[in-house]
Amino acid sequence: MEQTHIPDHTHKHSHAGKTDDIIICRDVHKWYGEFEALKGVSMTVKRGEVVVIIGPSGSGKSTFIRTINRLEEHQEGEIIVDGITLSHDIRNIAEIRREVGMVFQQFNLFPHLTVLENVMLAPIHVRKWDRDHAHERAMHWLNRVGIPEQADKYPGQLSGGQQQRVAIARTLCMEPHILMFDEPTSALDPEMIKEVLDVMRDLAVSGYTILAVTHEMGFARTVADRVIFMDGGYIVEENTPDDFFANPKSERTKLFLSQILSH
Amino acid sequence: MTTLYHNLQTFFRGDTGHFSWRHFLREHIFSSWWFAPWLLLLLYITVRVVAGQFAASPVVTAVVLIAWALTVMVTAVSNVLHRHTPLTFWLSNNLYNSITSAFISLLIVLLLIAGVRGFFGWAFVRASFVPDAEVAAQTLSQWEDPGANWGAVVDNFRNLMVFRFPREQDWRLWLLVLWNVLLLIPSTFVFSREVYRRSRVRRVLALLWVFTPVLAYLLLVGIGDGGPLPRLNPDTVWGGLLLTLIIAVFGIIASFPLGLLLALGRRSKIMGVPGWLTWLVVLPLTIYLVATRTVPGLREASGPGQILISLLPLLLPVAAYLFLRYFHGNVVALLSTIYIETVRGVPLITVLFMSIILFPIFLPPQMEVLSTWRVLAAVTFFAAAYLAENVRGGLQSIPKGQFEAADALGLGTARKYRLIVLPQALRAVIPAIVGQFIGLFKDTTLVETVGLIEFLGVANLISAQPDWLGVRREPYVFIAIVYFIGNFLMASYSRRLERQLGVGER
Amino acid sequence: MTDLTPQAPNRRESVPFWRDIRVLGVLAQIAFLIVVISGLAWVARNVTQNMSTLGGSQFLCRDGSSSVRCAFDFLQLDAQFAISESLIPYDPSDSYGRALLVGALNTIKVSSLGIVLATVLGTLTGIARLSSNWLISSVARWYVDIIRNTPLLLQLFFLFFAVILAFPPIREANQLFGLPIFLSQRGIDLPRIVMMPSFMTWLIFLVVGAALAAAVWWWLGRRERETERDANRPLWALLALLIVAVPGWFFASATAADTQGFLAPESSGITEFADVPEVVRAQLGLENLNELDAALDAGTVTQEQVDEATVTFCAVENSPPLTNMAAELNRANVPWAVERSRTPAAASADFAAGECQLLVSSRTALAGEQAALADVLPSTLIPLRELPVRLSVPRIEGLNFVGGIKLSPNFAAILIGLTVYTGAFIAEIVRAGIQSVAKGQSEAARALGLSESQRLRLVVLPQALRVIIPPLTSQYLNLTKNSSLAIAVGYPDLWSTAFTTLNQSGRAIQVFLIAMGTYLMFSLLISSFLNWYNRRVALVER
Ligand SMILES: Nc1ncnc2c1ncn2[C@@H]1O[C@H](COP(=O)(O)OP(=O)(O)OP(=O)(O)O)[C@@H](O)[C@H]1O
Ligand SMILES: [Mg+2]
Repeated sequence: MEQTHIPDHTHKHSHAGKTDDIIICRDVHKWYGEFEALKGVSMTVKRGEVVVIIGPSGSGKSTFIRTINRLEEHQEGEIIVDGITLSHDIRNIAEIRREVGMVFQQFNLFPHLTVLENVMLAPIHVRKWDRDHAHERAMHWLNRVGIPEQADKYPGQLSGGQQQRVAIARTLCMEPHILMFDEPTSALDPEMIKEVLDVMRDLAVSGYTILAVTHEMGFARTVADRVIFMDGGYIVEENTPDDFFANPKSERTKLFLSQILSH
Repeated sequence: MTTLYHNLQTFFRGDTGHFSWRHFLREHIFSSWWFAPWLLLLLYITVRVVAGQFAASPVVTAVVLIAWALTVMVTAVSNVLHRHTPLTFWLSNNLYNSITSAFISLLIVLLLIAGVRGFFGWAFVRASFVPDAEVAAQTLSQWEDPGANWGAVVDNFRNLMVFRFPREQDWRLWLLVLWNVLLLIPSTFVFSREVYRRSRVRRVLALLWVFTPVLAYLLLVGIGDGGPLPRLNPDTVWGGLLLTLIIAVFGIIASFPLGLLLALGRRSKIMGVPGWLTWLVVLPLTIYLVATRTVPGLREASGPGQILISLLPLLLPVAAYLFLRYFHGNVVALLSTIYIETVRGVPLITVLFMSIILFPIFLPPQMEVLSTWRVLAAVTFFAAAYLAENVRGGLQSIPKGQFEAADALGLGTARKYRLIVLPQALRAVIPAIVGQFIGLFKDTTLVETVGLIEFLGVANLISAQPDWLGVRREPYVFIAIVYFIGNFLMASYSRRLERQLGVGER
Repeated sequence: MTDLTPQAPNRRESVPFWRDIRVLGVLAQIAFLIVVISGLAWVARNVTQNMSTLGGSQFLCRDGSSSVRCAFDFLQLDAQFAISESLIPYDPSDSYGRALLVGALNTIKVSSLGIVLATVLGTLTGIARLSSNWLISSVARWYVDIIRNTPLLLQLFFLFFAVILAFPPIREANQLFGLPIFLSQRGIDLPRIVMMPSFMTWLIFLVVGAALAAAVWWWLGRRERETERDANRPLWALLALLIVAVPGWFFASATAADTQGFLAPESSGITEFADVPEVVRAQLGLENLNELDAALDAGTVTQEQVDEATVTFCAVENSPPLTNMAAELNRANVPWAVERSRTPAAASADFAAGECQLLVSSRTALAGEQAALADVLPSTLIPLRELPVRLSVPRIEGLNFVGGIKLSPNFAAILIGLTVYTGAFIAEIVRAGIQSVAKGQSEAARALGLSESQRLRLVVLPQALRVIIPPLTSQYLNLTKNSSLAIAVGYPDLWSTAFTTLNQSGRAIQVFLIAMGTYLMFSLLISSFLNWYNRRVALVER
């Protein structure tokens, strides 16, 4: 497998100073019972970088990005997010979760709250904003994702694409530095995919650090700074999008690309 | 029936000129081997019942029979000719769907008429309504088969409702009823309309509801000896329907916190006690107990029972193993599960007796608790286990994604449950909780067995009053009607809720 | 859970323990445990302090010392209270342990019967709820609604005090539907099927018949596959069974007739069984004995005449010949009475003393008796017919019903009450289960050309069962727990005997442990059995 190069200076500043490497993973292992889902994943993401992870089903993509904000616990290796080491320390976990926003495949909006309340909830209770401020920011983000007029509806009354955009707004309203997307478009109809991808593209341009699992090759090709290919719990290849699609280094990647692009 | 109609049709229209009996029989009687015996049996029963009813009340039976025969004929003809009036259409779809159905309809109508006549005769015609025992006895004696003696219920109406609640304190009850009605009427609007979601009205109402238990305590129990609300002794003054309602309402409300905690506890996934720590505690403890109990116990034991008791410490490692294997070291989940399953595995009556007989032993020697409080505690502990299972069902219906989204937003465990999980879970279990309340309302009758005089208990007392000796049916029927109306309304309300929430469809 | 996976290597930065999730988890648990244990310890301390109020004999050993070890020794003491009904022999000199066992068995009896009956009632009602006949479905709905919305205890009281105890006294017992079912203050008396000795002979035929039926079933099944036509297997298999079983019935009956009979004095002129009704008929001056009841009503025959003509016979109690004789006489509508004795010798003595007209016994005993009495009372030996299976019908003798099955008022009340109550709940479960099988499923099955019964058996039922079994389990559990209300109607079930034991022995804690433990065990047994069954059904499904 490819060994990712880890710059030395990140090591020294792992706890305190902010460096260019906003996410650092070193030899991350994850077991589900006896099944090893991540078999030593190492990589770094730079501030402002857009990284797309692709790979066949079951390769551990979701598992990997979910370990970064501790939705899954990793058993071995080191994860450092924005200078904070992910450990059993609840304070660190809480800090990292504030830094990292996540958008899910199934949206996971809270059905008993209106769209606006969904967006305002976390800022009020976690960031301790006052209501008016939260309301103002929430409307700002709803504007940004293009659905301010739906603010008082319930999630169940929206289309899939609209729901996913609300989910993005909900994440953004927490003002994270890092955005993680886990296949945000795969539960959507084709015409809705575009509206969500447009929002993501917009975010990428405005300087967010983005870590996205997606099967949208167009997005990967045009927006990503880097493409990571995972298979069987390993990172098989890391490459620039152009090289990744034009001349992949590994055989496994070639096979995968040929299967995907053949239809 | 299609072939029958087809045959009849050809018969009526004279297409073939004759009716094929053979075809008819093959199609309708011998198509299935059990149908012919079944039809014969049905015919036999019908003839017996008709004969019996004819002997009892010839006119009515004759009228019913004629009406039945006429409508059956009209329906058959309408079916054959494919010309229906609304009535025949309804009849052919609902009463005379088939040969057997037509007979069963006749049977049921006859039996229903007999039953209803019997009941009316007992309840109204041959009945007495005066609360004066002597007049009632006179009225009833004119009948060879006397009917209901409703006077017993009328005479004891107050007893049935509040039993020995002091009359001059009645205003307290009325005030409580008034308070609840006044709160209930706006609540039904305010809590079901989206408009009031963020309004102050809703918050004020909620606050008033929270204050209601305090008010109820002040009114029902009181404080101080003098003053406007003199203290009442629940053991002596609470009774009848009042006590039943107090127990049921208190039980469901008071069991809520405990039930909620138990449900959360049973589902909790907090990191368990590690295996080494468990064994570190269990093994020395086992060795100590074996040394101090089992060994001397076995030496002195006489009889298998004592040997078994001596061997109990050996169960400790087994329990520890099971605990680690099935609960992954989660003590909270273990104890919650044990509590829930134990309470749900034993009858309420044993728990009630426990509250009367064992609670005093469990409490410090000088501490005396009224039996009403003890029973209330027992009902609460009992209901909590069932409530926990209902709530757990609700929690299970919440998709995993909701938990993950809350985590990803950094909400933290307490807020995750308070803001995201419980509001959804509890809404989903409202119908189940209404159902549990109905059950509790019915189960409250059991406190009669431990000596509290609730609704049903009063009925049993009535039959021992010198005036109304042996009068049992009337109060029972009265109580049944009250329960039926109350529960039926609650059940239909709960069904409506269920439909609104779409719980049934999930 | 974490045991299987390697732990993370030591990190350079150490986490203070009050912020470490794992430590916090364990600490929280330990704190919780401490709270629970100290609560229990508080209770335990109070219990020891309260020991004096309980009476010092709580933990009395047989040697007079006192130790927790001896907590359950009292179970061997004499119970000294009577129990009105029991499945095993019991009397007040038996131990508390046995009394509790009697109660537990009674609980098992009423619960298992209740479960079976409630399931039948509930299933029928559930199906009736879905009937296209409006009257049937409405009646079923009213039954379900009324029963479900009123308390069980009220229903039990009503049933016991206002219905069963209000039945007529035993002499005027109500007969239901003209069947031999009697309702009286003493409870409910039902006919019972008795297997006679010759049943064993018939059983052989039955087994052979069943084997033949199975063979036919199998063979027809093969033919069905070959011809691809329905061959009406149930009917042919039934016929095969009957072809063996019916001759077997007569054969078994014939072999038994040689082994028993009755003695009739020669003076009576009876030479075969048919003479018995003939003599009575002639004495009463009737055309036909079937008219006896009508004649009594009309007054053409007086009760005295009937008493006069009544056939009396002597027999050993509970002996097969007695049952046969009674059944044969009932069949011929002959009024009869019986002198029961404990031994054949006593019966013969009664006969010789002229206390009865006929002596019913085994062939060998009768032959000896006939010879012995040849001088005093010359008599004829007449064979008596036996059927492999007889119906024992309840019959008033003196102040009680004899024969059949007797349900005491208490048992009848709790059994009927539990059945009717739980049946209503099961009906709703069954209805919901059937309705849950989507209409499309049934239509698909019809489209495949499955017959109505195949559709029910193969498509609807398996799917409905999956929905039905979990709530059904909890209804069974409820029924078992509700059987503890038997104490309200005086049926000696587990709780009732436990409560009496508690009051007599004063061992409150122990008795509660035993009673609640037993109920818990019943609950666990039922739920684990049904879980197992549910898993099987679910497996078959996949
Ligand atoms: N909770 C779990 N318990 C056990 N195994 C799991 C669990 N979650 C995931 N796995 C296993 O871990 C492996 C990686 O799963 P993961 O969801 O990360 O795959 P993925 O790359 O996201 O696939 P997809 O593209 O289908 O989403 C899979 O083999 C999966 O079966
Ligand atoms: Mg995935």
